[in-house]
Amino acid sequence: MCRHICPIGNATGQERNTARARALCASVVVRGAEKIDDIIDNIYECSLCGACTNNCITGWDPKIFIQEVKADAVLNGVIPPYIKDLLTKYQQTGNVYGIPYDESLKKYFDRESNILFLVGQDALYKSANSVKNACELLKKAGVNFTLNEKSNSTGSALWFLVGKTADTKQSAEQSAEIINGYEKVVVYDPVDLKFIKREWAEWGVTVKAEIIGFNAFLIDLIDSGKLNVVKSDKAYTVQDNYAYSRELDDSETVRKLVDRVGVNKEMLLNGKETNLAGHLIMNEYMKEVQSKVAANRWENAKNMDCKTLVTENPAEYELLKENCPDGYRVLSVEEMISENIK
Amino acid sequence: MNEFLQTQIITELEDAVGEENCSVKEIDKLTHSVDYFWLSRMWADRGRRMPEADYIVSPKDAEETSKVLKIANYYKIPVTTWGGGGGTQGGALPVAGGIILDTKRMNKIYEVNTDSMYIECGTGAIYKHVEWAANEKGYATMHYPSSLTCSTVGGFLAHRGIGVVSTKYGKIDDMVLSMEVVLPNGDIINTSNAPKHAAGPDLNQIFIGSEGTLGVITKAQIRIYEQPEVRRFRGFLFKDMSSAFKASREILQKFKPSVMRLYDNAETASLIKKIVGVEKPGAFMNVAYEGVKELVDVEEKILLDTFSKYGAEDLGSEYGEKWWKEKITFFYPGHMMDLPQMFGTMDTIAPYDKIEKIYWAMKNKIESTFPHVKFIAHFSHWYEWGCMVYDRFIVDKEYVPEDPVEAMKLHNKIWTVGVREAIANGGVVNDHHGVGIKLGRLMKEQYGPAMQVFEGIKKSLDPNGIMNPFKLGL
Repeated sequence: MCRHICPIGNATGQERNTARARALCASVVVRGAEKIDDIIDNIYECSLCGACTNNCITGWDPKIFIQEVKADAVLNGVIPPYIKDLLTKYQQTGNVYGIPYDESLKKYFDRESNILFLVGQDALYKSANSVKNACELLKKAGVNFTLNEKSNSTGSALWFLVGKTADTKQSAEQSAEIINGYEKVVVYDPVDLKFIKREWAEWGVTVKAEIIGFNAFLIDLIDSGKLNVVKSDKAYTVQDNYAYSRELDDSETVRKLVDRVGVNKEMLLNGKETNLAGHLIMNEYMKEVQSKVAANRWENAKNMDCKTLVTENPAEYELLKENCPDGYRVLSVEEMISENIK
Repeated sequence: MNEFLQTQIITELEDAVGEENCSVKEIDKLTHSVDYFWLSRMWADRGRRMPEADYIVSPKDAEETSKVLKIANYYKIPVTTWGGGGGTQGGALPVAGGIILDTKRMNKIYEVNTDSMYIECGTGAIYKHVEWAANEKGYATMHYPSSLTCSTVGGFLAHRGIGVVSTKYGKIDDMVLSMEVVLPNGDIINTSNAPKHAAGPDLNQIFIGSEGTLGVITKAQIRIYEQPEVRRFRGFLFKDMSSAFKASREILQKFKPSVMRLYDNAETASLIKKIVGVEKPGAFMNVAYEGVKELVDVEEKILLDTFSKYGAEDLGSEYGEKWWKEKITFFYPGHMMDLPQMFGTMDTIAPYDKIEKIYWAMKNKIESTFPHVKFIAHFSHWYEWGCMVYDRFIVDKEYVPEDPVEAMKLHNKIWTVGVREAIANGGVVNDHHGVGIKLGRLMKEQYGPAMQVFEGIKKSLDPNGIMNPFKLGL
């Protein structure tokens, strides 16, 4: 099985951080030759980015058995303590980070509007600047929108932590109930967008509102003249997020955005082949590794002389920024558009 | 070993490589105990635990590797080097316990040198990463085995690996300029400034293929090549293999195609039919030729003229292109054999005057000794003087014993019979998968008194016998 593509394995150099090793461990547990307790940490060292799935010649999807092991760990009461901590925070505060959102964002909440801007938990609690920049860009385009805190608990964070459980589904249903009160929902984080379009649909969670990804929404705003941008020969390089490129099969929208304002310069591993550049939940319990994951992505960029990376996901934005080498910069899509507004 | 001494050793290893790079966790022992060797996979599949290492260490460079080997020598602990765990001969399995030295942290690409056309890298680099580094500068490594994405540079060097375009570009042992090696006593050496010289025997070739028994290769300079302007494919169908051998030998006196694959009638009727879509009976052969367009045009003419002389039916480029697209797929479960089947690849190599005889001798011997065993083969990796036969045996589930010990015995018997037949008819123990623990017992049968050369080197470099015990017949 592939060793070359796992962003975690490439960062740690550890054999256990390979799809092969995880499959072996799960299989040995199933055969009764190992206890789940001994392999569970390794299960949480997977980001579920799907790079191995995408590369698997035999058509295996390691994400499936990894999520099954997590659900099994819940049943057997062997969830690692650092995951329990995140779950406790979730129970107490409604988000896995256990912190309130930045005061400066308050003005975007609970406004009269038919358009809900669902930014997701990563952006709301860990990337306030992303939320602020995105909201300001929407305002500049004259979009009347609102944020709603509880809508952001789509279940994607819980799903990452414990797999498909009753709690995860309940969280999804509660979020759906809120968003169904709006006509249109613009989803900022592709990980949430994928979760709504994929898992909600699979679980029969009803969505009445029109769902649109942030990138597609921005294209509409530009093409309808609500956002006036200038095209130049500035070079940008897309850091494709796996949820858009692999799970939702959309690598094109972000490139259209780049094309509206500059020139796209591809780096190694783009589109469906993209490599993860950071995961904020994992950053809570394996920070050093996440820094290496981001640093490895910067190496890809440097090798191709890509100076400005454009991200479409707040987790990758934050971690690439934190590990940005001198002479390089990282922009979110809204920052890229904003710096090219007429 | 008692807990006190074990703890003492752990603290010394942690001091050598850092605490986070030294593990005694179950998960790390388990994941370093099963590789792609059929026996290890079968053993795990039957709910058994393979022999495990006591310590897993991941040094970041030669200096840390040296420290580990000094500790191992002092306490006389076995050291087994582990790369990607993609080996088929059990060469990386820690059958004697002790230390697993995982090389994957030694994955740095130090230099892409386009003046002298090589990449200097740590041997823990996955080969695909080296290929990416070459591609980023517009070049290629031209080493494309099916395990490209799961094996390390060191892994390929350790067992003398080969890729699908070897006929033009060579084996891994042709692709190395220089290496850094840590000897069992911890000394760090460099093999040579250049691979071709008259300064005594070639040190590179002493360590390449030594499977971790003589030291640990920690750095290598690997050749890179210009991307070909064109790469063309042509499929042919021969009535029999004899005419294909004659045609191929003639071609190789004239130019070197990159890919040459000749499938026997059984493999043409099964695998090639299934994956490439060739329906007609016969022996299918795929040839690729590549490089500068003007030269490739000439090569194509020579190829077509030569093969037509030997009665080959020209199938055009479609099947060859399909083959190229699926070149890795061929070897993966779902497309090929997998557990619970028993299977193995007994690749061997010989000059043209022996290779066909070897094929028939092995096929007849295996099929007559083990009536339920299927035998298929193809011929790839061609030279001016001979080629390799990639023969595979397959035992379907219903004939594989339930009891893992019995299954192991049958497996080993088939291997012994097959490889002995290859040696008896002028072949070798193995062409490009290595020896490992699987075939160690047959090394003396091939080499006879020549084996003392290997044994002498081993004894001199590794007097305590700590390096990868029970491998390579040493």
